[in-house]
Amino acid sequence: MTPKQRDVMIYSALGAVLVVGLVVLFFVGPRWLVSAPTEEPDAAVAAASSNVRKIRARLLYVAEDGVRLSPVEQEVIYGEGTVEQAKRIIEAQVAQPQPPLVSAIPAGTKLKTVFVTAKGEAFVDLTPELRSNQQGGTTNEILTTYTIVNALTLNLPAITSVQILIDGKEVDTLAGHLDLRRPLEQDERWVSQ
Amino acid sequence: MVTRRICFAAYALGVVLLASAVSGQAPTPSAPLTILSKEGRRPLPITDVQGHQMVGLDDLSTLFQLTVREDAAAKAVTVSYKNQTVVLTPDQSLASMSGGRLISLPAPLTRQGRRWVVPIEFISRALAPIYDVRIDFRPASRLVVVGDIRVPRVVARYDDSGTSLRVTLDITPKTTATVVQEQNRLLVRLEADALDTLFPSVPAQNGALAGIHALEPNTIIIDLGPRFASYRTSTPVSSGAAAVLAIDLLTAAAQTSANPPASPTPDAPAVPASPLPVFGAPRVSVRTVVIDPGHGGEDAGIKGHGGLTEKDLTLALARRLKNVIEGRLGIRVLLTRNNDALIEADARAAMANNNKADLFISLHANGSPRSTTRGASIFSLSLDRFSEDARRHSRADREVLPVYGGGSREFSLVEWELAQVSHIEGSTVFAGLVEQKLKETAGLQSVTLLKAPMRSLAGANMPALLFDAGYLSNPDDEKLLGLAEFQNSVALAITEAIAAFRDYLDHGADGPAPGRVDGPAVP
Repeated sequence: MTPKQRDVMIYSALGAVLVVGLVVLFFVGPRWLVSAPTEEPDAAVAAASSNVRKIRARLLYVAEDGVRLSPVEQEVIYGEGTVEQAKRIIEAQVAQPQPPLVSAIPAGTKLKTVFVTAKGEAFVDLTPELRSNQQGGTTNEILTTYTIVNALTLNLPAITSVQILIDGKEVDTLAGHLDLRRPLEQDERWVSQ
Repeated sequence: MVTRRICFAAYALGVVLLASAVSGQAPTPSAPLTILSKEGRRPLPITDVQGHQMVGLDDLSTLFQLTVREDAAAKAVTVSYKNQTVVLTPDQSLASMSGGRLISLPAPLTRQGRRWVVPIEFISRALAPIYDVRIDFRPASRLVVVGDIRVPRVVARYDDSGTSLRVTLDITPKTTATVVQEQNRLLVRLEADALDTLFPSVPAQNGALAGIHALEPNTIIIDLGPRFASYRTSTPVSSGAAAVLAIDLLTAAAQTSANPPASPTPDAPAVPASPLPVFGAPRVSVRTVVIDPGHGGEDAGIKGHGGLTEKDLTLALARRLKNVIEGRLGIRVLLTRNNDALIEADARAAMANNNKADLFISLHANGSPRSTTRGASIFSLSLDRFSEDARRHSRADREVLPVYGGGSREFSLVEWELAQVSHIEGSTVFAGLVEQKLKETAGLQSVTLLKAPMRSLAGANMPALLFDAGYLSNPDDEKLLGLAEFQNSVALAITEAIAAFRDYLDHGADGPAPGRVDGPAVP
């Protein structure tokens, strides 16, 4: 092998190593570059969450008799002012509970937003699962509706009535029985003592 | 020069005084609230601070035996009653109750000289929940009712027909009343400890009524005008939680054209007289019934684990019911659907209204998140604040319109979607009869009477109810609901209830007692 041929081989080998290195960097590098800095914020969020201010609120779940709601005191994230507190309460209420609690809110339902008027009428905007995942029947519909109405009016006296919206629009009923065209006031007949 | 200075000083003083007057910082006294308890009436002073009506914690402390403690270090004021507390923070509109619950107030705790003042809403939102005696705050009448004393709300309305004037008293909750005449006034005595009254100004032109006011503790005085000749009262009618008492003040002209009413004797209870004819009142007897099989088409309703769907069950039950009613009572029966079709809620009520039905029965099956729940339920429409207003207006909003063939008639005007509010009493009576017959005739063990804002009933301009035959979410109920024998026995029971309701309408007060309303049933 002449010196010239040896130099060509060395440069070729170095070039190959460089190309392989670049390829490895291209596929692996970005993930490493992105994932590394996220570790610190995640940890910060976890640390901060243990210090989140909470209040105790009465959330409503299906009573043993299956025709009423049973109030259960639970911790809910504190919200500054009526609207923010209403959002935190509904978020906690629509979350599926741990057994043995049974929720009257259809699975998959999420809160979109809450508005409160000066007269204390709250408009709770929820996702379409509230209606599409209804099992049907008058009692199911009453319990779903008054879980939301009573959760707000029982915990927040500034809220006098509640109207349910789906995707920002008024609805006639959830399953063909209860009239939801106007805000509903608190009705404790559906809450067991 | 001196004059200029004096003028400038006077101008500056005027500006300062004007500014202080309009700033609204200085508290101004408002009309006091009245505390009503077994011990009597006591005023509770109110001051107006920046547009909010405020009450002193010192006054509340004296009246309700509260302990008020100021914690300078924590910058908070604690109001205690027995072992319950409310913690207030200056300049914050939220208060913390015992157990960590937060309540909101329209204005923050405010210092006024040496006193602390809070919005009057503190009474209902913070004080009432911690107090061991019932506190009922009625802001419209500026009353705070403490304890179990009977203080019905009495609202007067007037309908002037020219020859007579009807004074209608809406009494909530229902309270027994007697009417007697004493010289030139009528005394309406209620079985109550005190009254919470709202009397609008009386119509000036009639001349039969000079004025109306309350006399403590439980009497309403109706001062009679110069044109008054006699009076008659209608039997108090129950309407939901309220009683309605109508008193017709007849002028001399009306008395000569009408049958002479029974002369009321002093200090005797009001004698139920034949009520004046009211156009738009429910027709006597039952000629047409509309049955509404719930759901249909793509809306199957609830589906049982065994495969029975609500839409099929309701249609089958409706057809059986139609056959039994027509065969036994000879009444015309219409179905809102007679096939697997989806009908809008308003179209169902419209069919009943357009066919001048005397009863509307919506058939459904129930469902609960608990599969153990069983039983039948009967729903009639509940009135919220909005529909209560509509009910009052439906009575007040009458219009005289020309009719075919000449002449005119008075019509009651009511919003389409709130038509049912005028038939709450009839619906409650009919629901009670259906419950009774389901137990007696069909042998159902669990039947619950309920009121709720039902969509399908709102537009029905006749007595109406929604019947849930059982729970398709319960396997045993599902099997039962699918049986022809069960459906036949339910159809027979409802038919007997219709016959009893027809008797009730034909014989008025001699008929069966109005139905009651339960809480949800425990299976």
